[in-house]
Formats: sequence, C-alpha cells, structure tokens
Amino acid sequence: MKRGWLPLALMTLLIVALGAYTQAHHSEFLSKLNLNSLLLEAMPLLIVSLGQLCALLVGGFDVSVGALMTVCVVTASFTMTPTMSRIGLLFGALAIVGVGLATGVFNATLVRILRLPSIVATLGTLSILEGIALLLRAYPAGPINTDVTNVLVSSVGFVPIAFIGVVVLAVVADIWLYRTRGGLALRAVGLDATSSRRLGMSAGRIIFLAFVACSVLASIASFYLAAEVQIGSPIIGSQALESIAAAVLGGASLAGGRGSFLGALLAAFFLTEVDNVLPLFQQPTEYADMTIGVLILFALVLYQAPELIARVRAARRRMPAVPATGEIST
Amino acid sequence: MSTPGTADRPGVLSLRHVSKAFGAVQALRDVSFECHAGEIHALVGENGSGKSTLLGIASGFLVADEGAVEIGGARLGKASPAQARRLGLGIAYQDYSHVLDLTVAENLYLALPVAERPLYQRMERWAEETLTQFNVDVPVGASVATLSLAERQLLEVAKALLTRPKVLLLDEPTTALGPDSIEKLQALVLEQARAGVAIVYVSHRLPEVLSLADRVTVLRDGVGQGTFGAESVSEDSLIALMIGRPLEVAFPVRPSPAAEADEVLAVSGLRGERFGPIDLVVRRGEIVGLAGAEGNGQVQFLRALAGIEPAAGSALCGEREIDRRSPVGPLRAGVVLLSGDRRGEAIFPVLSVRANATVQVLKRLARFGFVSRRRERAAIDGLARRLRVRMASVEQPIVSLSGGNQQKVSLMRPFLRGDVKVILAEEPTQGVDVGARFDIYEALRGKTQEGVAAVVKSSDPIELAGLCDRVVVMSRGRIVEEIPGNELEERRIVEAIVGSRSAVSNKDSAA
Repeated sequence: MKRGWLPLALMTLLIVALGAYTQAHHSEFLSKLNLNSLLLEAMPLLIVSLGQLCALLVGGFDVSVGALMTVCVVTASFTMTPTMSRIGLLFGALAIVGVGLATGVFNATLVRILRLPSIVATLGTLSILEGIALLLRAYPAGPINTDVTNVLVSSVGFVPIAFIGVVVLAVVADIWLYRTRGGLALRAVGLDATSSRRLGMSAGRIIFLAFVACSVLASIASFYLAAEVQIGSPIIGSQALESIAAAVLGGASLAGGRGSFLGALLAAFFLTEVDNVLPLFQQPTEYADMTIGVLILFALVLYQAPELIARVRAARRRMPAVPATGEIST
Repeated sequence: MSTPGTADRPGVLSLRHVSKAFGAVQALRDVSFECHAGEIHALVGENGSGKSTLLGIASGFLVADEGAVEIGGARLGKASPAQARRLGLGIAYQDYSHVLDLTVAENLYLALPVAERPLYQRMERWAEETLTQFNVDVPVGASVATLSLAERQLLEVAKALLTRPKVLLLDEPTTALGPDSIEKLQALVLEQARAGVAIVYVSHRLPEVLSLADRVTVLRDGVGQGTFGAESVSEDSLIALMIGRPLEVAFPVRPSPAAEADEVLAVSGLRGERFGPIDLVVRRGEIVGLAGAEGNGQVQFLRALAGIEPAAGSALCGEREIDRRSPVGPLRAGVVLLSGDRRGEAIFPVLSVRANATVQVLKRLARFGFVSRRRERAAIDGLARRLRVRMASVEQPIVSLSGGNQQKVSLMRPFLRGDVKVILAEEPTQGVDVGARFDIYEALRGKTQEGVAAVVKSSDPIELAGLCDRVVVMSRGRIVEEIPGNELEERRIVEAIVGSRSAVSNKDSAA
C-alpha cells in the first residue's frame, strides 16, 4: 500500500479546498443545515461506491447498480408504504435487500459461470432492471413510509449516524483488505487469477462473492435514495458511472487488485460536493460533468506516474546501451 | 484406495494409464508413471512430447480423459489444484505462480496452506526466516515484479516446498538460472529427497538430469518409452529414445549454398529481458533455424527484432539500423514477423481471406484512396494458387479455413509486399496438417530464393533439419551452438538442445 496514500491525500485536499473556496464566497455553505443535507445527499453514492469497488477489485465492472437502485426504490414504494406495520416494514426492507441479493447472484452467474465480460453482462442486467422499474411504476407514484426514512436520516449534531457508519465500514474494509489474509486473497485474485488458482485459492468463489457484495451494497444504498425522493420513481438511479468514477478517483485500478474503500468514499463525497456547490455559483450542471471528467483523467495520470517512473528507471538500469535509433524515424 | 506396502517402496505419486487429448491432438496416450518416496525421478522428452500435460494432470490443473492419479495413496478425484495440494503435492511451474504486483512475503504467505499461516502481522519476519532456511536471498518487501528471472525461479521452488509436500514436481526449474544458482537448487533438491520427498524433475538438460536423478522416464509423442535407472542409461541412449518420429513430410530441395551472399540481417549484442546478448548474421537466400527447448528466449528474440519487445543492442537490415521502438520500424525496413500466436496476433479472425491477405498493402492496391476490389483479387488469386490455399472463396472469413490454410494466408502478406527482406517465422507449421506443411515449406523456400532471408523458430527438430540451411541453438537466452547445413539431422539438433555435445557457456546467467 505504498502508493495507496496518494489518492486519499488528493481527494482530501480537493474536498477541503473546494469547501474553503465555497465558504469564502457563501458563508452559509458550512452551516450545520447545509452540511447535514450535503452528507445525506452523498449517502447513496457513498455506499454504492464501496460496492462498485468490490467488483473493480476482482477486475470487473458493475454498470447495473444504478438501475438496481431504481428497482429497489420502486420496490420500496410497494413494500414500505406509509400504512404498514412494523413487522410489515421489516419484511419490506428485507425484500429490497433480497432484490439486491438476487441481482448480485444473477450478475455473478453471468460473469463467473457463463464467463461473459462483466461490462457486457451488467449492461444486459441494466436494461432488464430498467424495464422492470418502468413495468412496476410507469411514472413516479407510491409514497414511501416516512417513519422509516426519518430513522434513516437521524443525525448526531449535523452528522448523520449512517455517515459515521459508512466511514467506519470503509476503514474496517481497508484494514481487512490490506492487513488480513482474506484481503490478501482478494487482491491476489484480482491481480492474477491464474496464479491464484495455481496456489490453490478458489478464485471463482471470490469473484462470485465480490459481484454479490456489489449488488447488495447497491440495494442498501437505495434506502438512502428512497429517503431522498420518498416516492417510487422509475427514473432516478444514475449512480453506475459515478460510482466507477469514485472508485477510480479513490485509487482503484481498472485491471483489478488495487483500490481503497476509504479512497472511494472520499472521492464519492467529493463528487457530491461538486454537484452541490455549483448551483451556489449559479453555474449550470454541465460544468460539474466536465469538471468531473477532467479530474478523473488528471487523477489517473497522476496515480500512474510513480509506476511509470519506476518502470522507466528499471528499463534504463537493465539495458544501459540503448542504440541511437532516433535518426531513422520519419 | 491403494494399500501402501504392496510394492517394496510406496509410490507417492502414481499415474495409471493416463490419456489426454486436446481437440484432435493426442497429447498423452496410456501413460503410467510412478515416483517413490525419496526418489528423484526425471521426466524427459522433446518439446511437445507431453511432459507439461503429464504435470498438469498430476497437479490437478488438467483433467485426464482416461486413467487415474493417486497422491500419497489417495485418489485425486477431480481437476482441482487445491485438492492436489491437500493430498501433499507441491509444484514449481515453469512459468511460475507468482502474483507479480504483490511482495515476496505476500506471495510466500499465499503459498502456505491456510491452517499453517502465521499471523498476518508476522508475515514479513516469517518470510525472511523461511527464505533464509531455503538459502534464497531476496528482499521480502520487494514486489515480485522487480525480481530477476533467476530470483523468481528460486522463489517458485521455495513456494512449492513451503507446503512440505510428499511429492514435489519441478518443471524446468533451471531455465533462468546461472551455474551458482543451479548448484544451490540441486543441493536443495537432494536434501529434500534425502528427507523422503518424492521428486519429479522435468528438464531437457540431460547432463543435469543424469547427475541428479535416480530414475528417468522418457516420453515421445505422448507415449511412454520406458523407465530406466539413471546409472544404466547414457545420454546417447536417452536421445535415441526421445527422437525417432517417422518422417511424415517431404521438404523442398535445399539449393546449393551460395558462397558468401550479402548480409541481410546483422544482429550484434542484442539483449532483452529473457535473452542475449545475441550475435547473428543471416544472408540473402538463407533460411536459419532457431532451435532450443521452449522458454529459452527464442520467441522473445524474434519479437524484439520485430519491434514488439524492447531490447538493447544493434540489429542492421541491409546496413541500416532497424528502428525497433515499435513494430512499424521493422516493417518499414522489410522485417516481417509471422507470429506463432496465430489467432491472437497473426490473423483477424472474422475478416475475409482477402482482407487478411491484403491488410498490409492496401495503399498499393488503392486508387484515389479507395481500395480496388479488382486489384485486390488479381493480387491474391495467383498467389492463392501458388501456395495452394484451399478455400471456397476469398470472401469467406479466415477462421472458417483449416489451420494450415490460415497460415498460408498470413504467409501471403510477405509475398504481396514487394519490400520484404527478412521473414521471421515463429512455429510456422504449428497445428498444420501434413499436406499443408509442405506447401508452407515450399513457400518459404521459394521466397528466400527470390533473395529474402528467413529465420524460422520451431520446436520440431525434424522440421528444422529438413527446411533450414543452418540451425542455431538457444539456451538460457543465448546462442550456444551453430549447426552447419551438412550436419543437419534431427539427432544432431536434439543433442545440441539437451546439451550433451555443446559446451554450454557457463560464464554467467541469462537473467
């Protein structure tokens, strides 16, 4: 984890810098009320980014998470209605996690057992889920139980309890990933599945579980999306690409085996902060998209720099007498 | 379950009547093999004789079509490397089982059975102790990617030993090692054998094998040729068992050597990650064979010449340095590589025969920027007849042709280019049926008679002996012997590869 601190440092720096700049122009930015709403607004992306990182760690993608979250919110509009009893709500909540679990098993089967490339497999799942969402609710309807959503958003001071929860989860997950056997096995499989199999690890099971974890986390993220919209809307989940962006900005490698849960969390928070701040400056959201795009490219180049430098140095050391071929090129 | 004690010594690893086919190729046919506790049992054979398949089956990575594998008296039920490990099998793969981006310590840790792993926090200290114990000197905190090939090979063996196996499989464990490291490794192997470990030692280096092994089993074309006590066989008798495949193909007539034709390709001091330094001169009209056991740098050498892998040193084509920074430079200079990875690199599977043949020369076939179909067809038709490509139409996708005909189509490219000076052919007849082989040999010979030079890398000594004007033999990344045309025969080449006659330069390692 030698290079692992660079993304964490960069993301922290950006969050603080953007926050300070905004505060200097809009004194209400750091008000408790605004911070609270910012943190709550970030919750769905924070959680789903942790899930997306699981898929990225084993060298895959899951582009169906956004559609899955939509289906989960739509499901909530049937299973967690305002008139339900506590027991009913409990089963309703379990049903939503069940949707996530089922989708995860479906995706993992496509990727692991039918050997489809994950980006294609989950693209298929995405379309199916979008269809299901529209089938269940052709237009936004069906209010979601506010007792539940109020519990979800309860806060200590301006910090939502759930936010503390995900930060703790991310830190614990990072410690697990870099300081335990299980985490080492996950990284090994992500880096080199063939060698891992030769060493007797069950690479298949680890990849399967990673995709299931991704979908289950997306379904948990959908509770906070439901708390935000409070109605069964079939057209809300757009977190798929944002969650990949967050994981990558947080230090994940698209080739698998590298990443940081805390990094993904910080990056997801930063992306939400950008979205949240731009309206304050009366800037259209198009700028937010462009900013994010530029940042991702910048971060990718920056994160790879140490590796590139090391590789060039190693090549120089290994073969000092490079022939002068420069004159021949046209 | 077999009962130990039926033989005078228990067989720790036994394969009984094992057969395995890959598609149409029968890799192993009814092979039985047994290795006792405390024995070093060598497995020898030419490239492609089935050694690796046998190891794959023994280690649970491949599943046999027929036959049974027993490790320590227990049957290996299915193809599962994990189960084989549990039964007491350790294996050092020829191409390693390292996760390159993890550290040495982490790789060692992963190689240990879960129940025996120390606390994660103690990993680095434990790894240091372990490596000291195996007499391997590498920094435990470094990522494996930064190690030299020799260090990786020693680490691979150490990993296999970590499980304290009852049977240890070593697949070409000295390919990347220099003489000092070879001694170190052999001492380690002998120590393990004395401690009662059954050791299967796969190597193509017969002197090494005979000095180390108790018994030797010979494979040829997937068929066992018998098992012998090491003291009762000589290198000569082993070579006689390894070779002797019936000659299936005819070869084109070798023209009488043109005395001192111009140098077309002049390589000096070329070295890359897995080979070098190499000096080689190839003259006009000459076919030079590149022989050696697999994994001794032959492929990397050709790829470096074609600008696909980085290498230092000099390579002149017609007195001009070839710009090898990308594949474009060598192509411009007239150096064409026919990759051995046909599907992955040599052809565009879904494109038509026509498109595959003309892809490099579209500019010449175009008029005002548009490719003329008529000109394309005209260029291909004659050539297809000359190379005897069997196909229904030039518009059919190339994957629908047989392997031999696919190879012929990729061979059409150097014919269509007017400017080719050197053809680098990597396994040009791999997976090609007998009939088409002759056509390919003839095409290569025909092209060289037009003044082109060719370097043919092949793992088939019969092919090299029949086709080439001379053959150079590579070992540990270097050319160790050159066999002139008048001495070319299968036996001579195999002898050079197994190192029985060549004085392998033991100055330093190839890594």
